[in-house]
Amino acid sequence: NPIVLDLAFNSIEFPSLERRM
Amino acid sequence: QIEDLFTKLNGLIQNQNYEQAVKVSDQVLDHSPGDVDAWRCKVVSLIKADNIDKALSTIQDSEKQRRAIDFSFDKAYCLYRQNKVDVALELLKGQEETSATLLLESQILYRMGRMDACMDVYQKLRKFKTESLEINVVAGLVSAGRASE
Ligand SMILES: [K+]
Repeated sequence: NPIVLDLAFNSIEFPSLERRM
Repeated sequence: QIEDLFTKLNGLIQNQNYEQAVKVSDQVLDHSPGDVDAWRCKVVSLIKADNIDKALSTIQDSEKQRRAIDFSFDKAYCLYRQNKVDVALELLKGQEETSATLLLESQILYRMGRMDACMDVYQKLRKFKTESLEINVVAGLVSAGRASE
């Protein structure tokens, strides 16, 4: 089967650290 | 100071220096073991560094310590990467339908060879306007013997 892109990986995001700095 | 550590952590993340970001997340957790942002930064850094085993064991640590941080999506993703597709799919059930959960579901179904179910998830994903999704849709159509579509 053709390879699919791991788009789920790209959707994993860091929390916003704005208010922590 | 925690603020200084987060400033450092933010810079490391911007520079995609994920291995150092894990260390600084740990420094925050040494001071403040329940810090949700630090836990999240640690797990996401491990995933971005492709250290999936450690990411999963860190999520399990948070569970053992009863930190009540929602790592359900990250956990499903790690299990998918470890090819534990049945458990991963089970974990996704009951999670809110977001572009992230639907993308992961489509990738799991694709890996299981469940092409019709995979294509159904792509239909649901259309409303999210996901970048590069058409590449995976074409792969699914080819695999399902529906390339003419
Ligand atoms: K895949």
